[in-house]
Amino acid sequence: MFEVSDIVAAYGKIEALKGVSLKVESGRITCLLGPNGAGKTTLMMTIAGILQPRRGSIRLEGAELAGLSPARIVSRGVALVPENRLVFPEMSVRENLLAGAYQRRDRAGIDSDIERMYARFPRLKERRDQMAGTLSGGEQQMLAVARALMSRPRLLLMDEPSLGLAPLIVAEIFDIIAELNRDGTTIFLVEQNAHMALKVAHQFFLMEQGRITFSGTPGQLAEDEVIQRAYLGTRRAVG
Amino acid sequence: MVDLVQNTIDGLMIGSSYGLLALGFTLIFGVMRRLNLSYGPSVMIGGYLGTVVYLQFGAGPLTVAAAVVVGAAVAGIYVERLCFAPMKAGAAIASMVSSFAIWMQLEQAAILVLPRHTYAFPPLATGAPIELGPFAIRVDHLVMLGSALGLAAAVQLVLYRTRFGLALRAIIGNPVAAHLVGVDVRMVMPLAFAGASAIGGVAGFLVLAVDQQITPMFGMWATLKGLIAMMIGGLGSVPGAVLGGLLLGVIEAQSQWYFGPQIRDLVAYFVLFAFLAIRPRGLVGSMSEASTQKA
Repeated sequence: MFEVSDIVAAYGKIEALKGVSLKVESGRITCLLGPNGAGKTTLMMTIAGILQPRRGSIRLEGAELAGLSPARIVSRGVALVPENRLVFPEMSVRENLLAGAYQRRDRAGIDSDIERMYARFPRLKERRDQMAGTLSGGEQQMLAVARALMSRPRLLLMDEPSLGLAPLIVAEIFDIIAELNRDGTTIFLVEQNAHMALKVAHQFFLMEQGRITFSGTPGQLAEDEVIQRAYLGTRRAVG
Repeated sequence: MVDLVQNTIDGLMIGSSYGLLALGFTLIFGVMRRLNLSYGPSVMIGGYLGTVVYLQFGAGPLTVAAAVVVGAAVAGIYVERLCFAPMKAGAAIASMVSSFAIWMQLEQAAILVLPRHTYAFPPLATGAPIELGPFAIRVDHLVMLGSALGLAAAVQLVLYRTRFGLALRAIIGNPVAAHLVGVDVRMVMPLAFAGASAIGGVAGFLVLAVDQQITPMFGMWATLKGLIAMMIGGLGSVPGAVLGGLLLGVIEAQSQWYFGPQIRDLVAYFVLFAFLAIRPRGLVGSMSEASTQKA
């Protein structure tokens, strides 16, 4: 189980996370929804160690992650597929995958994992020697997911995987998310596309202004209301 | 015609060390996204260490070369700790200004330790020039070219064939993503800085050994040559740095021959200006340009 408790993170004096607590069950897809500026990406960056929390704890299977460097967090089994994908544009697809396995030393295992990624994402295999910067948005998203999987994470974090992609590609990405989860990967997902997210998620949280304001399972709240709160926040929903 | 070819040969030889200077510069820029104005002065400190080892102990060229490289690398780490490590991400101007301050500091330190203006530096290789028909090639120039191209090839190998190189290219491509795949960026950066300064040290040793003298102004000279060659070649590119250096060397040799030494530097600046105005990304497209635009 992955557990975040009472995390506070700030940019200078502005507190972006004001005491966030949530739990992600192993083997499940958990989704975090909320309007822009709610602090969703900040939470992801804090879990990944890019931002250091002011206080609070982040535990994976009981082991504390808060305060560790991003590299240590990767080696503990947490990988983030960042917002906007952030592939290495001047590296080939294959090199991007190799970079994803940077913390690993098992040469043979890395090679066989690259083959597994090619099997799962045939388009990456076709473009294995192409510079990642020349791929389409959807292909870059697949590469970003494959790169994160190369570290063999126990928990896969995904920040807005559907951002800027055409509807057909979005559907494909969500198929992949469901498939990865069926193979046993625990997924914690931030998503703008509440409709798609609620279709795959086992559990979801709503975040508004740096706080978790609702947690439940899809179907527990009418989708309309979730969407309204996810996009517009509670106050607009009441008024 | 004979002059033109002879100048080109001389220019390529000298230009190879400009290329090395640019290579060290471009690695620091690519990895840090910041300009290190103290780069040349770090190389100059290495040069002074080399000249002390030579004058005090009568060391041979290889020992002097090692002293220059180690001195430049240590000075590079000093600059990194002082001007780059403590600055927050995005504070590029603060780093550049503080690296300018350290430039002045290193130059004054060199003058304090060795107050006479000019000191002797051991020659690289002696012996009559090699005659090739109407052309003559200096032996020390040949050693310079060979060492420079060999080192550039080695740098390329490290960048594209090793785990450390993968880490460097990941940081150059996207620093946040490099963190996310598990590159220990805080560990890699000072190493990259030291390595880049050591490359500058090799270039510095080659140039000083050909000139057979060193002055405190060598720091400024090295920063300027490296900077111009890097801008001509294209920021962040290894082949670009080498090409830019070679081109700068040839341009300088030709303009020195036809217009004299005063005009030579003017022509170099004009070429830099022309590149900045007409083709700002340099001869070879940049490694970092695409990613900085996206970020």
